[in-house]
Amino acid sequence: MKGDEEATGGSTEVGERRRYELDDQGFDEVPKKYRKFYRRWKGPGDELAPNEIFCPVCRIVIRSPREIRPGDRIYCMACMTRLRAVRGPDGRIVAEVEYT
Amino acid sequence: MSDTPGPSEEVDLHARDPEWFREHVQSFQFWFEAVEGYLGGLDHGRPPEIPEAPLSGIERARLVTALCNYCVGETAALEGAGGLIRIAPNRETKIFLSTQTVDEGRHLEVLIHRLRELGVEDPEAEIRARAAPALLAFKDRLLDLVARGDWEAALFAQNVILESMEFAVFQNHARTADPRTHEVLMRIVKDERRHIGFGENELGRRLRAEPSLRTRLHPVRQELDRLVIAAFDEGGAGSGASPREREEITRAYLHAVKRLGFE
Repeated sequence: MKGDEEATGGSTEVGERRRYELDDQGFDEVPKKYRKFYRRWKGPGDELAPNEIFCPVCRIVIRSPREIRPGDRIYCMACMTRLRAVRGPDGRIVAEVEYT
Repeated sequence: MSDTPGPSEEVDLHARDPEWFREHVQSFQFWFEAVEGYLGGLDHGRPPEIPEAPLSGIERARLVTALCNYCVGETAALEGAGGLIRIAPNRETKIFLSTQTVDEGRHLEVLIHRLRELGVEDPEAEIRARAAPALLAFKDRLLDLVARGDWEAALFAQNVILESMEFAVFQNHARTADPRTHEVLMRIVKDERRHIGFGENELGRRLRAEPSLRTRLHPVRQELDRLVIAAFDEGGAGSGASPREREEITRAYLHAVKRLGFE
């Protein structure tokens, strides 16, 4: 994968990242080949896996084939937004929009 | 571009080049592959087999008023997106706006069709009779910004203010709507994700390069905020939304303007 170090810049995590096999969960708003990278948000009780992050712009869940760490670049194709994973005030990893 | 777009199952999408991403998601090719997943096989924006649910007289009247006002909003967006193509700053944004124009035309068509299904014989006359004055004023103001060639203000009015409110109102309405209206609205919401994202990202890039733009857009925001909120109150666009739902509807828009650095 291109630029693993580049994508994890600023990470405070240690150890090897967990890898995930992504499956198509029926998110039909992006071309078929990209569907496995997204799923619908099921509401307040929906728990995000370590390879998932919430899109603050269009409120869907973005999935990665590896554990997401602060500094990672993430793309939301549903709303065409480039995001960066950051550590939020409560310690959880959240996505911030990158307007560049 | 250093990467070539391709459908490799092994590729980590998030490792792709940002330039590739931006050009790809704004392309007609991307749009076509995206919408065929949720618009294929439909009859006027919904699966053909969905039955018409019985509605009381009050429920039908409220739904017709809401749909008429949605038609005003979609007409504003259709004319606005089409007009923005001329003043868009580059090829990618012009192409994206051409896809948005197609989306808005589809929205208007399926909403008019839904009005006819509900027994409205002359949708144009019904829309004129039920349109919220504040929404008509918003439309005039938006089209004025487009006609004056003010790219940032027009984009802010259309793809941030109008689209954010539509996105939230349609989602909220769909939760309690009859099955046919639900299906139509939820597919419009899928299109709206692209429109709000385009507006926020395009404007966000502009504001980052030119922070003083916020000061120039501040009065536009104040004026159009007031019109959109008044339109919500006048037009029944919330379709009977509770105070909690109304708060939820405006929250999505307020979050977007906060991310863009507006107080």
